[in-house]
Amino acid sequence: MNEKDRPDMQESPQKPTHCATSDFAFFYAGLEADQLLIQKCSACGALRNPPGPMCPVCSSLEWTTVAAKGSGAVYSYTVHYHPPLAGFETPHPVVLVALDEGVRFIGSLRGVPINAIRIGMPVRVEFAVRDGLSTFNFRPA
Amino acid sequence: MGNFKDKAAIVGIGATEFSKKSGRSELRLAVEAVTAALADAGVSPAEVDGISTYTIENNGEVDVFRNIGGRDLKFFSRTHYGGGAACAPILQAAMAVATGVANVVVCYRAMNERSEYRFGKPLQFAVPTTENAMFYYQTLHGLQTPAALIGMMMRRYMHETGTTSEDFANVAIAARRHAATNPNAFFYGKPITREDYMNSRMIADPFRLLDCCQESDGGVAVVITSAERARSLRQKPALIRAAAQGAPAGTGNFMSYYRDDISPTDEVRLVGEQLYDTARLTPADIQVAVLYDHFGPTVLPSLEGLGFCNRGEAKDFIKNGNIEIGGALPVNTNGGQVGEAYIHGMNGIAEAVRQIRGTAVNQVSGVENVIVTAGAGVPTSGIILGAA
Repeated sequence: MNEKDRPDMQESPQKPTHCATSDFAFFYAGLEADQLLIQKCSACGALRNPPGPMCPVCSSLEWTTVAAKGSGAVYSYTVHYHPPLAGFETPHPVVLVALDEGVRFIGSLRGVPINAIRIGMPVRVEFAVRDGLSTFNFRPA
Repeated sequence: MGNFKDKAAIVGIGATEFSKKSGRSELRLAVEAVTAALADAGVSPAEVDGISTYTIENNGEVDVFRNIGGRDLKFFSRTHYGGGAACAPILQAAMAVATGVANVVVCYRAMNERSEYRFGKPLQFAVPTTENAMFYYQTLHGLQTPAALIGMMMRRYMHETGTTSEDFANVAIAARRHAATNPNAFFYGKPITREDYMNSRMIADPFRLLDCCQESDGGVAVVITSAERARSLRQKPALIRAAAQGAPAGTGNFMSYYRDDISPTDEVRLVGEQLYDTARLTPADIQVAVLYDHFGPTVLPSLEGLGFCNRGEAKDFIKNGNIEIGGALPVNTNGGQVGEAYIHGMNGIAEAVRQIRGTAVNQVSGVENVIVTAGAGVPTSGIILGAA
């Protein structure tokens, strides 16, 4: 029997997955519910991003999440021109956004001409699906 | 700090040619560079008992050791974070020699980074290590190349300091001027004008093509032994005055986007503070600087982090040829990784040794101390080499 004919050796279509440790699971699950979740320390209340198991302020392992309101301002940006980028048209703008909650997030920027991108410009989160995975972009507020 | 000041020295340097297609294996490049460095030092391969390199290096220590005819390898270590590792093998070697763990340590970096793979290509990750999970957290948004990742940091730096593309041009022009008179440089005989710079295409805003280091094939190696032994060897020793690493709070592997100052400065400052403290020197004691130029403009925050000028003043410091031969602080006199080759910083260490010896093609007169940094924007490292 050829290996390809064995039922247990057949390839099943794989659901795309994020490259993530379990520390990031809450975040990607949040995106599937159209929420940008920020970790909040249960002990001292500090918000943190990127995700991690311990509060860098007070060392507590207890945490909960708050959903970001979704508004903020461009803290920095880049525009990727070269080389070609799988899954994105180039030039491709990416922004580092300081959310109103006081934490920063990286995201693609949509809906702005490249030469109009400015540090400080107000933006809003929009949720999206890309390559079968829930994700988010920023747009001008 | 300071326990190993001037106790070890770089006594040999070796390199292959720098090209875009070496036509031979990476291991062959490594062993060519290593044996050239040993021959330069006048030390037998049989004496090598330590090897230190980068985690990203493809050539294993024992494979290099077997090929050069080594006998007993007693110390081997690697340092992580890509080009941020560059000076850390020297730190490892200096510590090993100063403590008697090893007597002769070889450090090498050899790669066919242009012909076999491309370092500048978009990063992709599968295995969810903590590091890859962090990378992916940004790369899923198309922030995926070293140029874009560091570009994000430098765009903020420009915003906060008023630095412009016209200022960045001064770094590229200086590097290419130095490369133009370096026969070993890929861009030998090819200086650029300000117009060339401003007309070069965008790679990742704010970086243009002429800001970017090359992708190169080649290998470089250095040999470290005790300062005492160095006195009886054939080359003028380059004493390791100090060596240090730095990753202050919030420093990520290309991901320092969540700390107060996202520009690639803080990690260089932490390295610089330790270097000056260990070497008991100040920026005024340094005659030449080899500042890591994966992207030339990061030389500006590096100059600030190392205390050659204050925050936001690098754009003025580098004007009027001040970082070129004849200026107050010649920087990357070999042409840097923009002009000579990108051997992950190891070629810059070799240039620092030549400046101490007095044998550089773009030799600065009266060199007593040279500072060298590794990649900024990642956990990094640095050394100060000095004349005996």
